[in-house]
Amino acid sequence: MNRKKQIGVVGVIFLLLLVVAVIYNSKKEPELSRYTASFLDVFDTKTDVIGYSTDEEAFTEQVSLLKDKLAYYNDLYDIYNDYEGINNIKTINDNAGIAPVEVNRDIIDLLLFSKEMYEKTNGQINIAMGSVLSIWHDYRDAGIDDPENAKLPPMEDLQAASAYMDINQIIIDEEASTVYLPDAHMSIDVGSIGKGYAVQKLAEYAKEIGMKQVLLSVGGNVCAVGKKLDGSDWRIGIQNPDMKSDEAYVEKVDISDACVVTSGNYQRYYVVDGERYCHIIDGDTLMPADYFASVSILAKDSGMADALSTAVFNMPYEEGLAFVNGIDGVEALWVMNDGTIYHTDGFANYIAD
Amino acid sequence: MEENKKKNDLILIGVLLVVALAAYFCMSFFQGANTKNGVAVVKIDDVEYGRFPLVVDTEERIELPDGSYNLLVIQDGKADVTEASCPDGICVNHRAISKQGQSIVCLPNKVVVEIENGEESDLDAVTN
Repeated sequence: MNRKKQIGVVGVIFLLLLVVAVIYNSKKEPELSRYTASFLDVFDTKTDVIGYSTDEEAFTEQVSLLKDKLAYYNDLYDIYNDYEGINNIKTINDNAGIAPVEVNRDIIDLLLFSKEMYEKTNGQINIAMGSVLSIWHDYRDAGIDDPENAKLPPMEDLQAASAYMDINQIIIDEEASTVYLPDAHMSIDVGSIGKGYAVQKLAEYAKEIGMKQVLLSVGGNVCAVGKKLDGSDWRIGIQNPDMKSDEAYVEKVDISDACVVTSGNYQRYYVVDGERYCHIIDGDTLMPADYFASVSILAKDSGMADALSTAVFNMPYEEGLAFVNGIDGVEALWVMNDGTIYHTDGFANYIAD
Repeated sequence: MEENKKKNDLILIGVLLVVALAAYFCMSFFQGANTKNGVAVVKIDDVEYGRFPLVVDTEERIELPDGSYNLLVIQDGKADVTEASCPDGICVNHRAISKQGQSIVCLPNKVVVEIENGEESDLDAVTN
């Protein structure tokens, strides 16, 4: 072979390689890319969605479906606002002592799940606490708006209201699809469970619309569907309650097909005479719990993780540890007010290296 | 004649190679140039209000029509909300942010400060 021929052969091989590369690349289509989106205003918080799609337009379309779905649950489970043409939990409360209210099956399902959680948590999760929680809500709002005159609700008011928090009094007629509160003093508050339950439903809906690998975070209520595209777990930071610390996270966990929910005293609270009072109220003492800065629960089901994070936040550490150890597939991490961290043995399996 | 044809082929191959290489280097150059320049993107009620490069120290008073506000401070490559009219102060208590996807949210004012194009974070989400 002469030199020119050699060059020619090399050139042809090069061209062939180029053609192969181009075909290989086009065969790989549609290639999935990672996209993120967020929206405000649903469940009074920011929702973040991370997913994979062939193009941004398709992803935006999916996120918009998710937003509509979440807004649907928000409207149903709202206890403060009316929505035209919808009977929601506020409608049930407004009709306490008056008449049964016909509601959507998704409300009945949430209430039945809440009763289940009431049993599981020995009454710590009680959606019939509305009478007590609404008093705290009013004092907290007033105290945040006018910190100088912030006050605690009088204990006699709380005790009087606590006479009306028997969850077994809620009359659910599955056949007629109605809910009735037989006493005008009663009211339902799903604040400790509604959002988590809705996020679980949202995760199931995401799969239905073809999002097999997606991470949902509704105001820190995190739910992982599947794994990441590269096959690794999603990595979630557990926020350090000490906002002055340089360490933004107390721990990082790796999860797939699981949820993490945190209840804490460091974001939603008000101050009376220099003392912080958080938004989570213990049904036994009728006062805010003060055992921990935060409790994070890891579980397969977001509704359960949400409910248990509130329940365990209201239990002393030893009691909470025994309680969580008694439930399969649930792990917990506690951040004490002094920054000390405890977790269940099984939680260690999820901690990122 | 035969020789000429071969020569032209070779020239064509050469030109193609040079063009491909040039395109490759251009693409990787621009991608590389884009990765490190984090920007704090401010949105009010999901509508973009402004973009503030983290490399430029600045202060921006984000004012809403009803008189409420959030003070955004960009310093040392980080974005922070240091002052706000909202009653709960959650945005002010939040620590400064600089990594990809981190955000500071003020729900009462519907103001969100979010990092785009920032230094990669190893986290996909945060529970709080």
